This record gives sequence, C-alpha cells and structure tokens, in this order.
Amino acid sequence: MASNPMQQFTVKRIGPEINIVGVDLSFTNASLFMVISATVIILFLFLGSKEKKIIPNKLQLIAEMSYTFVAKMISDTAGSKARPYFPFIFSLFMFVLFCNMIGMLPYSFTVTSHIIVTLIMALFIFIAVTIIGFIKHGFKYLSIFVPSGVPAVLLPLITIIEIISYLSRPVSLSVRLFANMMAGHTMLKVFGGFVVSLGILGGWLPLSFSVALTGLEILVAFLQAYVFAILTCIYLNDALNLHH
Amino acid sequence: MKSFLSLLIASVAINTELFAAEAGMPQLDPTYWASQAFWLILVFTVLYISISKFYLPKIKDNLDNRENKIKEDLENANKFKEESEAKLKEYDLILENAKKEVLKLHFESKSTLDKDIQSKKDSMEKEIEKEILKTQKEILELKKNSISSIQVISGSIVSNIIENISGDKLNESSIKATVEDVSKKNMNKFL
Repeated sequence: MASNPMQQFTVKRIGPEINIVGVDLSFTNASLFMVISATVIILFLFLGSKEKKIIPNKLQLIAEMSYTFVAKMISDTAGSKARPYFPFIFSLFMFVLFCNMIGMLPYSFTVTSHIIVTLIMALFIFIAVTIIGFIKHGFKYLSIFVPSGVPAVLLPLITIIEIISYLSRPVSLSVRLFANMMAGHTMLKVFGGFVVSLGILGGWLPLSFSVALTGLEILVAFLQAYVFAILTCIYLNDALNLHH
Repeated sequence: MKSFLSLLIASVAINTELFAAEAGMPQLDPTYWASQAFWLILVFTVLYISISKFYLPKIKDNLDNRENKIKEDLENANKFKEESEAKLKEYDLILENAKKEVLKLHFESKSTLDKDIQSKKDSMEKEIEKEILKTQKEILELKKNSISSIQVISGSIVSNIIENISGDKLNESSIKATVEDVSKKNMNKFL
C-alpha cells in the first residue's frame, strides 16, 4: 500500500515549540483544526444572527434551526430544569459536529478522531454531571445506584452493575465518538489506497465504494455529534431528575 | 462491519508496536496529549463564552421577536375580524330599522289614504243623500202641485163636458168641490 492509513491521524507541531513548566503545549495541526472549527462556528452564528429578519434568509434559518433542534433535544430528554445548560450543550453539539464535518474535507485533520480529545470532553461532562447531581440532591444522589423495585437478593449485584455502568459512561461516550471517526476515516483511506493500487482498470470499484462511504461518513459525522449531545442530555437528566 | 474493521485495524496496530506513533495509532502517542488537552480547553472555552454570551441570546431574541410578531399579527387579525363583525351587525341593525320604517311609512300612508278616501266617501254620501232629499221634496211638491193642477184641469174638463151635454153652466164652486172629493178618494191609487 502506498501510505499508512493511520498516518492521517498524526499530530504535528506547527510553529515554535511552546513549553510551559516542562509540558509541551505546542500549537499543532490538531489545535489548528480546533481553531478552524470554532472560527467557522462563530462565523456561521455571526452571519446567522446578524440580520434580524422576520422572514429569515438561508443562513439565519439554518442558525435558528440548529438552535431549535438543540433546544428541543434538551427539553425532550432532560426537561425544563436543563435550561441553564443549554448554551453548553449547544456549544458541545456544534463543536463536535463541525470538527466531524471539517474532518471530512480532504487533507484536513479530524480533531474528534483522537481519544484524548473525546476523553477530555467526556470526562468533563461526567464530572460536571456528578457534581450537579450532588449539588441538587446531596447524598440522595447515590440512590441512582439503587434502582427501586428490585428484589433484595439481587440488590447488591444490581448496585455493583449500576456503579460500573455509571463509571464507564465517560469511557463509552469518548470511545464511541473516537472509534467511529477513526474507523470511518481509516476506511476511506484504505479504499482510497485501493483505488491507487488497482489503477485505471480495477480502481473503479473501490472508487465507487469510496463515494458511497463518503456519504455514509457525512451521516455518521452528524449522527455521532447528535449522539454525543443527546447522551450528555440523558446524563444531565439523571442528575437533575432522580427517577429511581 | 465498520466497527469490526476498525477493531481489527486497531488491534493490529496495537499488537505490532504498542504506543508507537509511526506504525500504530498516533492517537495513543502521548507526546501531544497535553497540547491537545490545553488547546481543546482553550478553544472550547472561548467558543462557549462567545456562543452563550453573544450568539444564543441574539438568536433567541430573533425567535422571540418572530413569535411575538406572529402573535401580534394574529391578535390584530382577530381584532379586525371582531370589528368587521360588529360593523356587520350594525349594518344589519340599520337595515332592519330601515325595513321597519318602510313598513311603518307604508302603513301610515295607507291609513291616511284610507281615511281620506273614507271621508271623501262620507261627504259624497252625505251630498248624495242631501240631493236625494231635495229631489224627493221637489217630487213631493211637484206631486202637490200636480194634484191641484189636475183638479183645476179636471174641473174645467168636467164643466166643459156638462156644458156640452146639458148646455147649462154649472156653479164653479160645486164642480170644484166634487172634483176635490173624487180626487181625494182616488188620488192615492195613482200617486
């Protein structure tokens, strides 16, 4: 094969090395694409909210649609109590979505295909949700591990399972996004490599696969951003409304 | 299938050279983890602040404005509808009143006309009666007159007849008395 399909995920330093107290915080291509994604989001929202028209233009409509989309998602899953967290979830959804989508451009870098990035986001959500739960309900929040209506014999086992499932939330949340993005991009690269190696005669089949996969990957990019945001809402719901 | 493939690739990568960036997964190379974490937190914080402080309130304002505008327009439309309905009612009332007035006028004019006709008829009838009475009087008078003239004529006829038959001239007053007597007896038969 012409090139390693994993090479696209390599992080490279751009510009000077920034070293603070022995920790390397250099600006990399990953940082660059984070900045690009954030800039595109801000530009999009700026243009989308610039003209306050009663009948919106296309960009304004898209911005308002994304607003109502996320707002509906939050109110459907976590109810009205989650209203103060709307800006965070909106930012999170937009950031993941735009990182995924910009990653679909050729020669770009997919920020969300790195486990460290998704893990930090997931850990932040996990810790924040836990803190919110304890602030709202005090030690009663621990009752989330003890589901009601379970026979007493099974209770210790169920509680252990609940605790494990709770603690594995950041892992599942981060790995889901990271693995999906990495797998998709690797596969695209592999099929792209096949096109080159099979040449003008045999390359058409993997090329058509590549085209189809690109469509699929765009869907996955949206879907994973949506899943990431909605799972955050569900975790938030658990912390805000104790149902057990 | 995709996740299976990714798992395969990942496991191959990990197995060949664990935590080595060049051949395996660059994601597991910790060289730039700190940098990525730092830049992620920085960029996301900036993004979060700008979104929550500037853009979301703006979009919310916009949406609220539109909703208010729609609500206002609907309210206005309802108000106008009510107004037009009230106007329509007013119009109906006016129309009804006008109809009533027309009926009244019609009735009034009819009654005055009837009265007029009645009074005229009455006066006419009176006049006719008067006329009839007058004529009846005249007829009566005429009758009386005719009786006396008939008596005179029959008197003269009687004296003529007697003169021609007997050649005597009778007393005028006795003839007159006889004629009067006969006529009183028979006049009722003819008059």
